[in-house]
This record gives sequence, C-alpha cells and structure tokens, in this order.
Amino acid sequence: MKIIGVYSIKGGVGKTSSTVNLAYLAAAGGHRTLVWDLDPQGAASYYFRVKPKIKGGGRALLRGKRPLDDVIKGTDFELLDLLPSDFSYRNMDILLEGEKKKPTGQLRRLLRPLVGEYDYVLFDCPPSISLMSENIFRAADALLVPLIPSTLSARTLTQLLGFLAKQDGVGALKVLPFFSMVDAERSLHTDTIARLCAEHPEILAARIPLAAEVERMGLHRMPLPAYAPSNAASAAYRALWGEVERAV
Amino acid sequence: MNPVATDYLLPPEQDMDSIAAAIRAAFRCEQEPPASSERRFFDSFEWSLYQAGAALEEVSAAGRRELVWEDLADSGAVLARQSISTEPGLVAELPLGPVRERLAPVLGVRRLLALLTLTSTSRTLRVLNADDKTVVRIVLEQARIVDDGPGHDRLLPARLRLVGVRGYQEEHAEVSAELRALLPLAPAHAPLLLEGLAAIGRRPGGYSSKLDYRLDPGERAEAATRTILLGLLDTIEANVDGTRRNLDPEFLHDLRVATRRTRSALGQIKGVLPAAIVADFKARFAWLQQVTGPVRDLDVYLLDFPTLKADLPAALREDLEPLKDWLAGHYDAAQRALADALAGESFARLLREWRAFLEAPSRPGADRAAKQATAPIKRVADKRIRRMHRRVLDEGRAITDASPSEELHELRKSCKKLRYLMEFFQSLYPAADIKELIKQMKLLLDNLGGFQDLAVQAAHLRETAAMMQAAGAAPLGTLLAMGALIGHMLEQQQRARREFARIFADFDSDANAALFAQLFTPPSALADAEVSA
Repeated sequence: MKIIGVYSIKGGVGKTSSTVNLAYLAAAGGHRTLVWDLDPQGAASYYFRVKPKIKGGGRALLRGKRPLDDVIKGTDFELLDLLPSDFSYRNMDILLEGEKKKPTGQLRRLLRPLVGEYDYVLFDCPPSISLMSENIFRAADALLVPLIPSTLSARTLTQLLGFLAKQDGVGALKVLPFFSMVDAERSLHTDTIARLCAEHPEILAARIPLAAEVERMGLHRMPLPAYAPSNAASAAYRALWGEVERAV
Repeated sequence: MNPVATDYLLPPEQDMDSIAAAIRAAFRCEQEPPASSERRFFDSFEWSLYQAGAALEEVSAAGRRELVWEDLADSGAVLARQSISTEPGLVAELPLGPVRERLAPVLGVRRLLALLTLTSTSRTLRVLNADDKTVVRIVLEQARIVDDGPGHDRLLPARLRLVGVRGYQEEHAEVSAELRALLPLAPAHAPLLLEGLAAIGRRPGGYSSKLDYRLDPGERAEAATRTILLGLLDTIEANVDGTRRNLDPEFLHDLRVATRRTRSALGQIKGVLPAAIVADFKARFAWLQQVTGPVRDLDVYLLDFPTLKADLPAALREDLEPLKDWLAGHYDAAQRALADALAGESFARLLREWRAFLEAPSRPGADRAAKQATAPIKRVADKRIRRMHRRVLDEGRAITDASPSEELHELRKSCKKLRYLMEFFQSLYPAADIKELIKQMKLLLDNLGGFQDLAVQAAHLRETAAMMQAAGAAPLGTLLAMGALIGHMLEQQQRARREFARIFADFDSDANAALFAQLFTPPSALADAEVSA
C-alpha cells in the first residue's frame, strides 16, 4: 500500500481536483485505490457524490469507536473507494492534541488495518501547516505538491521544504512538486516555471493546464478523465500519474 | 473493497430488454449502453488459480484487452485489472502491473492455458440515490460458450448480477428485496466460470501431481499396487502433451516425478507383481527417465540462472551471460530429441502395454513367486516401510564426518524410497501422524538433496565449461565466472555436509522412532510383544 498526500500550504491550487483525478486514474489502471478526504470542506466527497458525513465524526475514528472500514464508501468507479470528509475535521488538531501517545502518528495508526486492502491511498489534505499535516507527513510515502507558477507559490514550497527539514521521522518522505493551473499564454507563468525548474530539479515534468473543463468537475460531479477523457487536461493528469507511479 | 455480489438466473422465456425495462420502471436508475465482450478464462494445468480461490479472465471489448483478477469465493468481485497486448502465457512475459503482481506467486513458472471462452452481451443498470450517486449495480448478462468449430456454440442461462456498492448496504438490501418480488429470480448455484466449465465437461481441480490414494487396509496387495501404479500412469499421460509442446517446465517435471515414483513402486512393493513384468517395465521406465533427463537439466539451469547469477559478486555477473546463451542454444535440439522420443513407437508401446497390464483382470496365484499378491496391503505396507526405515537408520548412523560422499548418496536413495512408500500408503495411517513423518523425511531429504545436487551441478558446470571452451564459445571472463560459481557451489555443498549430522540426528530422534514403531508395527507383533513382556 502506497500512501500519497496531495498537499499544499496554500489553498486554491488545484489540490482536490488533482487528488480526485489521479485516484481515478490509479483505479482505472487496475489498482485498488482509496481517497481519504481530510479537508473539512468536503470537496472531494462532493465530486464523488458522497455525503461529507461520518457518524460520530473525527472523534469516533480516532477513538476507534468506528473503524475506517465502516465508513468507507464505494464510488461510481470500480476499484475506487472514498473515506468521506466530516465537518468535525475542522477541529482535528484539537482532537489530535488530546491523543496522549504520538499525536503525530495517528493517521498512520488508523490506516494500518487497510494495508493489503488497497494499493494506493490518496489524501486530499486541508491547506495550512498543522498537527494534521504532521500526521500526513508521517503517514505518507510521497507528498504531491501542486504549485501555481507564481512567486507566492514558490515561497510556500520553500516554506514546506524548510519545515520538513526540521522534522523527525519524515526522512523517507518523497516530495513531488508539480505545476498546476498553468496558463501557457502568460509569460509570468512560463518565466516562473523556467526559474523554479532550475532551482528545484525534483519538480515533475507534467503540467496541468488551467482549463475550463477542470472547473466543470463540480457540475459533472465526477473525475475529469471520466467525462472528458480526450481533454488536454486529462492527458496532463495521465502523464502526471505516470510520473507519480514511477516515483513511489 | 469487495462489494457483495449475488448472481441470479433469469427465466429463459424473458428477453433482457423487457427485464431491463421492468427494472427501469421500478427504480430510479440509469442504463449504460449495451456492451459486448469476449471473456476468456485462464488457469494453469494444475489449476493453481482455482486452488487459490481466484479466477483470471481476459476481457476484450471495443478493441481493448484487459486481464482481470477476480475473487472466486466472493462471486467474482474484481480485485485487480491491467491492460495487455499479447497472449497471456508465462508471468515473465506479462507487463508489470497489478494482475501480474498477484499472479506471480500463485502461478510460478506455469503457463496460463485458456479454459473457457465466452462471448457476452450485457446491460448494466445503475440504481441512483437522490445525489445521482450509484448505490447498487444490476448487470444483465447473456453469455455464450465459444467452442471450437461452428455450430458448437452454446447459450448459458442469462444471469442477473446484483452488485452492491461499499457503504450502501441498506440500499442494496432494499433493491435486492424489491427485485426478487419483481422478477422470477432463481439464485445461481455456481459462478459463471464454473457453470461454463461444467457445460463443456471440465472439472476444476481435475489435475494434481500430488499422491492421494484412498486405499482400503484389507485390500489385496496386488489390486492396491495396481491402483497406485495406474494413478502414476495417469499423471504421466496427462503431462505428455504439455511436455512435447514444452508449454512450461512443470509438465516435464511432473512426468519425470511420476516416472521415478513408478520405478520406485516397482522396486519397493516386492513380491506383489510378477517378477518378469517388474523387470521388463523397470528397464523401460528407466529408459524414459533417461531420455527426459537432458531437457530437465537445462530447465533447472535456466530456471536457476537468476539465482546463480546473484550468487556471484556483482563484478562477475555479466560474464555469465554466454553460459545462458550456450544453454539456450542447446535447448531446442534437446527439446526436439525429447519430443521425438515421446512421439516414438517405444514410448507409445510402453504406455499402451503398461496400461493393458494394470487394467487387466488380476490373476492372483498366476505367478508363484509373487507371494504377497493376495496379502492385505496394510501388511505389505507396514513391512516395506519398516524395512526401509531400518535401512535408512543403519546407513545414516554409519556416516561419520570422514565418510565419502557416495555413502550420503546411497542414503539419499534409501530416503527417497522410504518417502515414496509413505506417500503411496498414507491413506492407510492416521493422517496427522503420517504427515508428520513425511515432513521429517523431507527435511532430511532437503539436506541430502542439496548436498548431492550441488555436487552434480558443479561437475556438470565443469563439463559445460570444457565444452564451451572447445567450441570457442567461452571468453576467459566467462570461464572465470563459471569457476567462481563452482567454488560457491562446493562451499554450499560443504555447508550442507556439515549440517548433515545434526539434521540426521533430528530425524533419528526417540520421538520419531516411537512414531514409526506405533504406525508401522502390525497389531499382531504388538500383541506378541505384550505377551512376552
């Protein structure tokens, strides 16, 4: 079981659409895949038409009153399941804080019974750096970081790398940044990409374009490659998934 | 991950479109466009996948080919799938992917063989909730068996498959109840694969090279011996075609094991079959063992090649490649010679005459030398196993650190004979006890086999090196790498030799002695012992 966190300190960078589309492609490639919607906004759950609700909330999961197994929902796509979001996730840090033992190792602990059941688990992570994100860093094999080609985005990548460098227990975590919402017409974007690629050779080659069709995922309520397989953005997600699969 | 799936058979008189229409009228649902596909199911010759509770099919639809791994126990829930572009065969030929990953440990070196081909047309209806989320799938499928030749197609009863979606159990239960009220559904008793196999007269699990006789202790020794030998002959015959076509190395391996067991049974179950017959067939099966040897040797080399290479220091590994080329270059000729021998008249006559003898009505007393022919088989088995056990102990105890390797070789031969005897006759003894003794026997045989095989391999490698050099096919680096390999083998052999004393002592334990005495001492001898005590 490979665990991949789709993560960014900044919001609005195409995190949820990337999680949903990549998970769809993983399952379409024949792998048993689980999306864990950790963002209290529940956008990934919405895309899969699943209610963002867990009986007993995050507390019941953490306390073991409700095993993950009980709350997983099958999506409309074969081999692809979802662990829905819950509004109580907004207070996740307080709940994690309450765990006496290893407050940063809780996600890893909760996932243990699912080893063998899934080939890939993708986290749709809430933005920010918090106790929750530390849990994600410790549970994941790889962190997929969407970057909008802008100065601000570059700063958040530096922040993240700096933060990880100071953490214990995340040595094996692979950080895989990629460009998201790229507008090839804008010189600001192309210049930033050129500059950042020179500074960060670990940035993946696939670039997800800024496309109206991606925004329409909310209307279709399904992964982009499921309703627009030949769209350029679908092709970009396929290329991205190919790189991620090789990297993890 | 696994949604619950239930299969029902649809009444033959109803067509699928009217059933689909009835379902659409009863549920909020969406129907996907009708789909047609070809479904080809695969397994190895020895049903490795079936034994592991799995089914593997190649689904071809709309120009796309996929291998799909299904859980046979959970009514065919899909566990993995991957695209393919070539004919499924050996694991090594498949592209990397989730199906290959599951297949590798189950299939080993065996080849996938097509079992059953179906053409299928299906209609999928997705039952939706208020969010238009799919909560249950209903699949109507009409499958037809594709047999060889036109006019052989056969229609299987149409099925309705109700597939749950994880986390929507309530909806599944509701739809299930309503469907059963709506349509005259009969539960399907077998998955589609098994129903199809039954229709073409194939029994899953129909082949195994394992010895599994059900003998009656009071049965005449001669009849029981024929049963054992007939079972071995069946195994030989079952593997001839795969060996001749060289589908995978296991056909030849099973054929050779059954041949060796046949020779062992002829030699060990003494005084039961006419002596002239035994002598004649022993010689002819020895010939079979001999003509099948060269290809098996090459198979073992080629299968072991990655391990052999890994045994060398990294710097020498590439130098070993010419050895592989040499072996592969000699393979075709050896395989052709083997296939010719198996297609020849001597082999055909051997099988024919051996079967005729084994199946002929028995005439006990016809051969006066066969004194045990009418004795109960249990008595013969007890005696043979006791004797052979005695011999193994005598030979083993005589071996010291200074003994020559021939003595270990002789002991190995005796151990094999004892193992085969216990395996032939295992149904005559309490299962757990005899299994334990066979297991103990295998531990000892592993040690002896390791010792002997390494010596043979090292000698063989030396000969090969000489031949390669004479043919100008071995650069210096290759000869040196082969030399290093021989050194490594001899070292391993010495390790096996050093471990022998301890492993033999474990076999020669008081506990094993007591178990041997308990299982193979006839009740009469026990009674005598009690009286004299």
